[in-house]
Amino acid sequence: MSSRFMPRLGAGLVAVAVLAVAAAPASAQQLKGLFRISAGSYFRMQEPTGAKSKFFANPYSTDANKTYTLITAGGDGGLRTGLLQPAPTPAFDAKGDSLAKRIIAPTDFTGINFWLATVGTAPSITASAGHLSGQVNGLTAEWNKLSFKQGGQVTGTYNAQTHAYVLTWSSLISGGPFNGFTGVWHLKGTFAS
Amino acid sequence: MRSGSPARRAVAALAVLGVALIAMPVAFQMFDRAPKGAQMIASFRPDMTAVRLGGYQLELREIDAAVREGPSVATRLAGSPASGGQKRVAASLAQFAQFERQWQGIYPDMTGMMDTIRANLPNYQAVAALPSFTLFPWFFVIPGLIVLALLALGRARPPSWRTVRWVLVALGVGLVLAPAVFEMFSRAPKGGRMMTAFKPIETSARVERIQGYFGDMAVGQGAVQLQLIPALRRSGLTNSQISAGYPGLETFDAQWVHILNDMTPMIGAMSDNVANYQAVAALPPFPLFPWFFVAPGLFVAASALLAGPRRSPRARRQSSTDLPSSLTEGVT
Repeated sequence: MSSRFMPRLGAGLVAVAVLAVAAAPASAQQLKGLFRISAGSYFRMQEPTGAKSKFFANPYSTDANKTYTLITAGGDGGLRTGLLQPAPTPAFDAKGDSLAKRIIAPTDFTGINFWLATVGTAPSITASAGHLSGQVNGLTAEWNKLSFKQGGQVTGTYNAQTHAYVLTWSSLISGGPFNGFTGVWHLKGTFAS
Repeated sequence: MRSGSPARRAVAALAVLGVALIAMPVAFQMFDRAPKGAQMIASFRPDMTAVRLGGYQLELREIDAAVREGPSVATRLAGSPASGGQKRVAASLAQFAQFERQWQGIYPDMTGMMDTIRANLPNYQAVAALPSFTLFPWFFVIPGLIVLALLALGRARPPSWRTVRWVLVALGVGLVLAPAVFEMFSRAPKGGRMMTAFKPIETSARVERIQGYFGDMAVGQGAVQLQLIPALRRSGLTNSQISAGYPGLETFDAQWVHILNDMTPMIGAMSDNVANYQAVAALPPFPLFPWFFVAPGLFVAASALLAGPRRSPRARRQSSTDLPSSLTEGVT
């Protein structure tokens, strides 16, 4: 009995392994290149949850709902992975407008332009079975002569045929005038390697 | 000298005091809290000037002046009942009217806060003129170590005991004089008053409220620039007529970036120092600080004097030095 059992067990294990390989998702693909930013990308700022939790209204937003600050592509066309897009020196003009213009175009927030930069760790994003994951830990928002860490773990979707993507993440602001606020980011567009 | 002699007891007391001085900063967590106090004082420094605080108060008055012009803007835009002006007012003033209502709470709160801060400027300056908070624990540890080191020296080298005693007396006098040298008797109580005054300001809830005000003011200014002023232009007024007729709105709009430049670091400093304030508030009360020097100083000086030889003829005959037997025989 045992002499027949062992070959059957081996065959069963091989079959399971074949099925497992067949059922496994396509291998993760590192997306190294440019996440072009297009219409529909925005930033919101959620007020501290200790207060009546709501989103900060930016009167200068071009959206009808002023809690959405719409953002458009900067000089580089968007966010690069595997590469830093630092702020220039100096980073601000006398008014406090950010002078960095690579990732997004200068965007008016309550009367002063902000912009994004990546410092320290370059963003890295992976696509797997239509889903995006990764980090933008080095992202900072520059506004009114202040730099706010806005990095975090990103999630999203990716269409390998059209290269259309949607990336979202949120980042708690720690310290400074917006301490306790949470930046909510939503980028969409197409990826170009 | 017998074990229960005043000299021996004085030496033992000095040893206990030395250990207590070293232990006190640890007991009060001064090594953690005092640097936070130093950080708080440094963070407030850019804002704590008469010019800067006066500037904040002026900015609040400027916003208030703009808000008070709201009704006359409404009258101007409304025009005659037949002109459809009421709809124009409703469309143009909705956001500003909301801000106007919010401002009724914001203005007294912010003004009260700024008045409190301004009134405490001399108190802040008094505290800032004290030696850095970071040094505070060492003001206890170092004298404690010196006391113990001198006692050890006296024990290791009995002939030096007379000198050691006088150095201890000098150390005690130095501790007594230190608060006077640093003007602690006047400055420390002022620090206490500042801490009391800032208690309702340096809280997370208050900071969040101010952050909320900031958002309300931003919306109010946006309404002025994007709705009110364009509506006044559409009503037929030129820019110079708007400036002349509504100087409050004009100033609020023109000064907004300056207000933002001022206000955001101030809110940041308030927010960043909530924990630092709490750390300083957990230290012993400021007015007691000078006495933390005077009391040990008196104790050290008095103990050192008492740690001398008995002045009885028998004692003078038995001892050729000032060294108490507790040092030669060992303090057990």
